[in-house]
Amino acid sequence: MLVVWLLAVALAGSLVTLFMPRQSAKGAAGIIGAIVIGIYVALLMHPGQGVNVRWIPAWGIRFHLGSDGLSLFLLGLTVVMTEVAILASKAEWGRMYYFWILFLEFGSLGLFSALDLFLFYIFWEVVLIPIFFLLTSWSGSKGKRAAMKWLIMNLFGSLFMLIGIVAVAVIHTQPGGPLTFEISQLVNIHMDARVTPWIFAAFFLAFAIKAPLWPFHGWMPDAYGEAPAPVTGLLAGVMSKAGIYGFLRIMLPLFFPEFVQYQTGLLILAVIGLLYGAFMALRQTDMKMVTAYASLSHLGMIALGIFSLTRVGILGATFQMVAHGLMVGGLFIILGLLEQRTGSRDIAAMQGLNASAPRMAAYFLFFALATLGLPGLPGFVGEYLIIQGLVAHEVVFAVIAVIVLVMAAWYMLRVFQGVMQGPDKGQKILDLRAGQVWWIVPLAGLVLLLGVWPNGITAHAVPSLYHAVHLLAAKGGGV
Amino acid sequence: MSSFHLMLPEYLVVGFVLLALLGNMLVGNRLRLASWLGLIGLLSSFVASASIWSKSLQPQVMVSGGIVVDNYSLLVNLFVLLAGIGAILLGWGERRWGQEFPVLTMISVLGMMILGMAGNTIVLFLGIEVLSLPLYILAASEHTAAGGEAGLKYLLLGAFSSGILLFGLALLYGALGSLSFIHFASLTNTTSPLLWAGLTLTLAGIFFKLGIVPFHMWVPDVYEGSPSAVTQLMAFGTKVGAAAILLRFLDFGFYLTPQWWGPALGYLAVLTMIVGNLLALPQTDLKRLLGYSGIGHAGFLLVGVATHNLDGARAMLFYLLPYGFAVLGAFAVLILVAGNQDTVTISDLKGLASRRPLMAAFFIIVMLSFAGIPLTGGFVGKFYLLQAALFANQPGLAIGLVVGTLLGLGAYLRPVQALFSVGDESRAVPAWTLSGAVVLIVAVIGTIGLGVYPTPVVHLVNLSANFFWLH
Repeated sequence: MLVVWLLAVALAGSLVTLFMPRQSAKGAAGIIGAIVIGIYVALLMHPGQGVNVRWIPAWGIRFHLGSDGLSLFLLGLTVVMTEVAILASKAEWGRMYYFWILFLEFGSLGLFSALDLFLFYIFWEVVLIPIFFLLTSWSGSKGKRAAMKWLIMNLFGSLFMLIGIVAVAVIHTQPGGPLTFEISQLVNIHMDARVTPWIFAAFFLAFAIKAPLWPFHGWMPDAYGEAPAPVTGLLAGVMSKAGIYGFLRIMLPLFFPEFVQYQTGLLILAVIGLLYGAFMALRQTDMKMVTAYASLSHLGMIALGIFSLTRVGILGATFQMVAHGLMVGGLFIILGLLEQRTGSRDIAAMQGLNASAPRMAAYFLFFALATLGLPGLPGFVGEYLIIQGLVAHEVVFAVIAVIVLVMAAWYMLRVFQGVMQGPDKGQKILDLRAGQVWWIVPLAGLVLLLGVWPNGITAHAVPSLYHAVHLLAAKGGGV
Repeated sequence: MSSFHLMLPEYLVVGFVLLALLGNMLVGNRLRLASWLGLIGLLSSFVASASIWSKSLQPQVMVSGGIVVDNYSLLVNLFVLLAGIGAILLGWGERRWGQEFPVLTMISVLGMMILGMAGNTIVLFLGIEVLSLPLYILAASEHTAAGGEAGLKYLLLGAFSSGILLFGLALLYGALGSLSFIHFASLTNTTSPLLWAGLTLTLAGIFFKLGIVPFHMWVPDVYEGSPSAVTQLMAFGTKVGAAAILLRFLDFGFYLTPQWWGPALGYLAVLTMIVGNLLALPQTDLKRLLGYSGIGHAGFLLVGVATHNLDGARAMLFYLLPYGFAVLGAFAVLILVAGNQDTVTISDLKGLASRRPLMAAFFIIVMLSFAGIPLTGGFVGKFYLLQAALFANQPGLAIGLVVGTLLGLGAYLRPVQALFSVGDESRAVPAWTLSGAVVLIVAVIGTIGLGVYPTPVVHLVNLSANFFWLH
């Protein structure tokens, strides 16, 4: 039942903030976020507590929530990043802003814990709405366009996935099976070879757009660029994982033979995304866009891990999802604080800021190093596992991935050097205040912890993945 | 149960129509007597329908097959009475229209109820006419050029379509030698050209009322020119009536020969969903936008009929309710925002989010329901239709439904985004009215309720559309 409490508190909390006085909305949201974290810690101690009750019996739909090694840490990522985003936001953005942030938390938690496809789909679309309104009302001049693009592109994929979901359930009934949307039952489905590619494509499109993977990232530059920094942090840190999670939770068990069949094509797609993101990151002049394209490149890397279809590669992807969420989320938030102080995002316009803001420079460097995969920090662990998986499958892709790692160091350090180092031009900015340090330190500490103790996640994730991968082996895939 | 009991909902409406007419003669428009009588009459009829429904009776055939009272007709009663109550409440504040508005609304609702229980072609035509005649008058009740245009257009095109319908029904009688739907099924082993022509013309007449694409031209103009309360009745009530009779006519009379009409309906459904939503995209006048959106939603309804399975019939019947709630909510906001204006454009909504946050929030909820976003009833309705289409093994219909939904998104999201723009500060802040607030709150509760826990309504609909020969 703890999972339900997690969702219920987030939802109830979002409604409570709506009725708070304008000034205290941020405080209330922060407290609610902290309560949710508390419940999550309780869930960590007593995992495996789910709920499974009838919801719409006529259609075989159940209200089935649960957490396992795959989703448990994504839930953690969600609660942590939401709290950080709340604390990094401005109080004057008002109660509607905090309502949407908490509602987004509710949707994301549901998304990561739903085990019924119908329920999964509900949350899958519910998370689109808060982002739409956050982009509409609290972003730059082109926010409305970005919001439209975000919603329409994502729904384009999602609605075709809805056909796929219903089709899977309908096909499951054909040999006399019951109408059900339970993921664990649908994996036994036998599909006609003529329809399978279409259903595969429907699911793939939705997940690839949400992540986003190249070439489905059309909405990403606008949304990432326009959104306020904490929202970008949530988009890149949490929302992007929803698409990847979909691959792991739904597509791998359902379509393993198709994955094997299309593997080379998928790997090429992911590699192109990896390279494209890295090259785009190199030539951006806007520091937020560098990070945005870096994130696109990293998602290509995670996708490579999954498409390697080896146990170690998938494990690396699972780990990297959580690690990347924390690192890139933290980076976006630091950049947001920097933007607030300098009023600009142009790398060329800034120089030598570490003279006046040494603390900010230190945290910036920390998150940048983590993102580019410095050993000892979690980015390295995830990338190592992914590359190991690639070597086991096809060494060419591993070589390209390693080359991109070098590029990652290049584009990240280019931003850091450009902004923080170099001769001091006399531009004075305010350093991090104590009120900001006390929530950045735990975030950085969490990143550090993952870097030195990755086993904390991998040990839990392995049993779930083991289950998934064994299931794959039973369906004819060699792992 | 005697036939008097079974027909009690209809008798109640007729009785209150007479009472309201008498009252108008005796006391004039004092104390809003006619409106109160209309409200009480429709509410009591609603309660009566619900209580007869809960007795779970077997279908009762009366007047030599002309009238069928069953759970299906009672559910249709509930839907159209909801639309009628909504119309009377939304028109409450309008002194301009005088006392005939509630009376005509009640008569029109009676026509819709008759359509729900029609069992032969005579009652079908009777229902269509009783529904339409009061609406012709109501459409013109705004004494402006646009109002006159709406009324005249509706009257001329409506009369034309009634003629086509009547001709079609006559040809059907000529071909089959019977008036009753039930008998049609056993007689359809002939394939005379007369039968084909009759079926085509009859369907064209019904499609006109429903607003299916080649017969949709009147919809936006009439919606735009009519008073909002009346437009709401057309958008919700007329659609329920026309959809109900379409389903009854085809699934009673022609259930053995779906190959005659199924494919045609499928193509028309896809065409309607795409054209309706596409044309809604560039609209700036909200009533026109809702008009085109209504066309698109008629296409969604047609999907349920075209699948020709039990799921489809149920999905169509279910879809009417979230659609109706969304229509009620949207028109309530429209009326509240309009104040004394004739039209509401998208730019009139600007700044509503900061000036009337609650009203804006409710408006967002109904718009999201139109667009079919989860946690609103619109999503559950579309999901049901999608299920029906795929169970019927018609992926084309499913894809059409999705494409139509995607096109519609643009239309519904633009008004929503306008709420957050900086508006014209000199405009008066929209004032809440009691009747508008009641309609809006009911609509929003219904929309969210259907989205979060649709189980009871799914159950209700499944018990109501229980045509045993469909499977």
